[in-house]
Amino acid sequence: MAPSSGRRLASRTKEEPEERKIVGINKETVTNTVSTDYPDNFIDEDHAWDVDYFRSKFRVEWHENNEHEAQFSLIGLDASIANAFRRILIAEIPTLAIEKVFMNNNTSVIQDEVLAHRLGLIPFTGGKKGIRDWMTYLSKDADGQDLCFDHNTVQLSLSVECTKNKDAKPDETDPTKLYHNAHVYARDIVFQPLGDQEKWFSGDDIIRPVNPDILIAKLRPPQVLDMDLHMHKGIGADHAKFSPVCTASYRLLPTITITKPILGDDAKKFQECFMPGTIKLEKVTRQEARQAGSGYEGHEGENKAVVANAMYDTVSREVLRHDEFQGKVKLGRKRDHFIFSIESSGQWDSDELFLESVKVMKQKVGKLRQLAVTMVTENSI
Amino acid sequence: MSREGYQIPTAQSSAPGASSTQVSRADDNMGTTMTYMCGDCGFKFPLKRQDNIRCIECGCRVLYKERTKRMVQFEAR
Ligand SMILES: [Zn+2]
Repeated sequence: MAPSSGRRLASRTKEEPEERKIVGINKETVTNTVSTDYPDNFIDEDHAWDVDYFRSKFRVEWHENNEHEAQFSLIGLDASIANAFRRILIAEIPTLAIEKVFMNNNTSVIQDEVLAHRLGLIPFTGGKKGIRDWMTYLSKDADGQDLCFDHNTVQLSLSVECTKNKDAKPDETDPTKLYHNAHVYARDIVFQPLGDQEKWFSGDDIIRPVNPDILIAKLRPPQVLDMDLHMHKGIGADHAKFSPVCTASYRLLPTITITKPILGDDAKKFQECFMPGTIKLEKVTRQEARQAGSGYEGHEGENKAVVANAMYDTVSREVLRHDEFQGKVKLGRKRDHFIFSIESSGQWDSDELFLESVKVMKQKVGKLRQLAVTMVTENSI
Repeated sequence: MSREGYQIPTAQSSAPGASSTQVSRADDNMGTTMTYMCGDCGFKFPLKRQDNIRCIECGCRVLYKERTKRMVQFEAR
């Protein structure tokens, strides 16, 4: 093959030197921000994407996994893929949310459309299997009319009337004691099972607000709220209320490299430049103090600054503002280490969400593959 | 949106296709009344077209029209 074709010998290395993966964080600039591990970028290096090589290098590390919050690291993949997962998490995983409000009566001070909007934003949960596998998107007939069935619509009702509390003390000033239903909360919304829904959403699996204490409206006698609500499935790309996450974001792993010893009071000041737990203080050992050229000579027993956990660093760059640390520390970020943080809004568990984003990505790739194949075969005819 | 479908509540439901001027004239002739609520004392009372806009109990001139009894549909967006 011609040398210009870009095909390389098998002996060429795939490995990318670690220092090349570090984004440089300087006082006023950020350097080396772009990936360089692609074919024909370096002489004698093969960075063609290879599934076996990717498998051997890719790692996932969990830091925290609670029901509604997860933190984990994806190590050894490109920003384009990590960002695709983040965007799918925010905008393309379906959830159930209030979509239509049938207002029979609303004499509260909140306008109908504002109230409808508020209701839409309340996160709901329920039987996961029912919501995910049995429920489908709303279908429409040929005229664009909605076709509501038990498997695509969940009906709720909210019916509250504020009345005077006859038993309240005469000098009472607290409206929640003076009146019945002075505050309307998310827990006042009642699920109305239709058709087969009883089978999927009963007992612990009942459709209910994730946070029952969300305040919907405040009423005074004789104000009334009376409405029926329809929930449908949707995705965050359509409206933010369908997004299954409060936040889904990632940051790159910070790196802190101490290039020259930082000792004594300086070490303490150095520690205070970072978030707690990032830097720890250790005593200079006899061995280090004896070693010529180490920078520790004659400092045995003094404090020295050591990086404890760079992940806690917020990369505030405070340390770069102080002259005494000039040339002694190098800040950076690892370009292929993504610390994901997923906060679920309640309908999914946070760890399920990431797996679901992988599933959605696979579906999209499958579609693209088919299109690519038809494009090639059609052109060859 | 849904607000476009809003019609002032009338005692008799207007037939579809009937122009609005015809309907209101018919209302005038019949002397259809609406219930209003006093802004001061909260008293509810009916009011005809020629009547003074004034509470019959306390004389307050701020009156509130009642909300429609019809269902109004909204999108939760
Ligand atoms: Zn009055």
